[in-house]
Amino acid sequence: MTVRPLEGVALSRVRLTTRRRSPLARRRELMAYVFLLPAVALLAAFTLVPFIQAIVLSFQQWDGVSATTSFVGLANYEFVLHDTVFWSSMGNVLIFGAAGFVIGNALSLGMAIAVNGVRRGKAFFRTAFYLPGVFSVVVIGMMFSWLLAPNAGILNRVLGAVGASGLQHNWLEDPGTALPAVAAVFLWYHWGFGFILYLAGLQDMPVELYEAAGLDGARGWAKFRYITWPELLPVTAIVSLLTLLGALQVFGTVQVLTNGGPGDHTMVPTLRIYQEAFTNRRFGSAAAMSVIFGGALVLLAMLHLWLSRRRR
Amino acid sequence: MTTSRTSSTAASSGRESGRRVVAGLAAHSGLYGLLLAAAVGALFPIVWLLIGSLQTSSELYRGSHLLPEHPQWSNYVQAWTDGDLGTYLPNSVIYTVSAVAGILVVSSMAGYALARIEFRGKVAVTFGLLAVMIIPAPASFIAQYKLMITLGLTNSRVGYVLILISAGIPISSLIMRGFFANLPKDLEEAAAIDGSSSLNTFARVILPLARPGLIAVAVIQGLAVWNEYLLALVLFDDDTLMPIQRGLTNFVSAETPVQNILLAATAISVLPVVVFYVFAQRQVVQGISSGAVK
Repeated sequence: MTVRPLEGVALSRVRLTTRRRSPLARRRELMAYVFLLPAVALLAAFTLVPFIQAIVLSFQQWDGVSATTSFVGLANYEFVLHDTVFWSSMGNVLIFGAAGFVIGNALSLGMAIAVNGVRRGKAFFRTAFYLPGVFSVVVIGMMFSWLLAPNAGILNRVLGAVGASGLQHNWLEDPGTALPAVAAVFLWYHWGFGFILYLAGLQDMPVELYEAAGLDGARGWAKFRYITWPELLPVTAIVSLLTLLGALQVFGTVQVLTNGGPGDHTMVPTLRIYQEAFTNRRFGSAAAMSVIFGGALVLLAMLHLWLSRRRR
Repeated sequence: MTTSRTSSTAASSGRESGRRVVAGLAAHSGLYGLLLAAAVGALFPIVWLLIGSLQTSSELYRGSHLLPEHPQWSNYVQAWTDGDLGTYLPNSVIYTVSAVAGILVVSSMAGYALARIEFRGKVAVTFGLLAVMIIPAPASFIAQYKLMITLGLTNSRVGYVLILISAGIPISSLIMRGFFANLPKDLEEAAAIDGSSSLNTFARVILPLARPGLIAVAVIQGLAVWNEYLLALVLFDDDTLMPIQRGLTNFVSAETPVQNILLAATAISVLPVVVFYVFAQRQVVQGISSGAVK
């Protein structure tokens, strides 16, 4: 270990001459590849390969058990094309997406502005508002199937107690209320996520901006319209993308609350894909569905990123 | 505002500002009212679940009392044994600890390489991570199931943990990259001059400095793994291997248990998360922010 001074020399030479040539830089480059290897290998094996396999499987027939799969061409896609339940599930999930995108975003932003505006209790409100976000979809399902239960559920009981028994519903089994009820549950546990991001954005905002606007006589709405909103646009972009993707991929909540029922009124694509594979044992058409639906999600994410980058 | 009350203009402006204070107070209490209502909305379901979990079955369905007359702690004992929670909870602990450990090791190495080493193909790797992150679970869980059958890794703890790790890698690597990139520029050179090997520098100098990043990743991935449901549903038939989320739904469908016992089982499953959140809420919040901004 007497060569240290030389390494120091080598280091300073790295800067002067081309980087790649120096042995140290080359050793560091090798280190980079070694360090990346586990991540790349795991992602290739368990994420990338299955993604490609899903595409291959969508042209095959497989019952989930047998060792062999046979190619069936476009038959799976033809089958899926005529699966009305799958397409109505796509429609249902759009309602989730729209609810999250509009109501969820507005709720997140409004509550973040409100919490940011109070002096006391910020930490309490922040903690309380995000609490539903740490529950699992299974826990949330259990919770709300109890709250919304037809007879013993607290919602119907309260409605009865205040003399509004006309408003009582079998919320999760009435075709008219099931989808809005499940969407409301989704909103309940998801809005805290956007709220946290908006609140962080608000707290990062330079105070001088508001002071200057205040001197110019800007108040309430004008402040929001001309300072808060434009300053928060990048946060809005990321919150709306993540909320939209979260809403469209909803699965566990629906499975536990309604399992897609009544009829197929609350069916969502991921649940349909799951059932097609594990209940109907048609993995080929399930794969075709996941290619269609997953492809749509990927396109949506890319479109959104492109739009929000262009706006900036 | 209280200094110049003598001149008439100042007095009128004082009245004006007084009115503004009153209006401000009204707006403020309105604001607090709104916030408190929202807090009740967020907290009520879990509180109601806890209350229900302590009632007798007949109390629960009569609904005559808001609070249980005699808290039925025995519900929890029954939930624990009937719901096999003694199997599911330790399973969840095993999966969460090992997956988070794996994610931390793999993603801190990858993040370090991306943030602080010049190498050919860096742009491609970064872009690849982003692209993989866009692949949604619904697009690949069917094929993941097929892959695990091929590898003989269904009903296997190892298989489940491997899939959980790879699901956590992209976002965690990008978070770690952000934290490493913010460290001072010449740390490695200084350490090398002091005679530290590259690996040693990474483990002894860089990693400790990136501790906030490691904590952020551990916290959000820990929650994600504990709450994971879809893959657990797909990969496990064997009751003895299931994590708690899967175990809970198993409990519902298998024996249609009494509601209060079910509520108690749900409460037990959520208790570790709530305690963790209350103590680490600042880290959770930071973790979410750093995850989303990257």
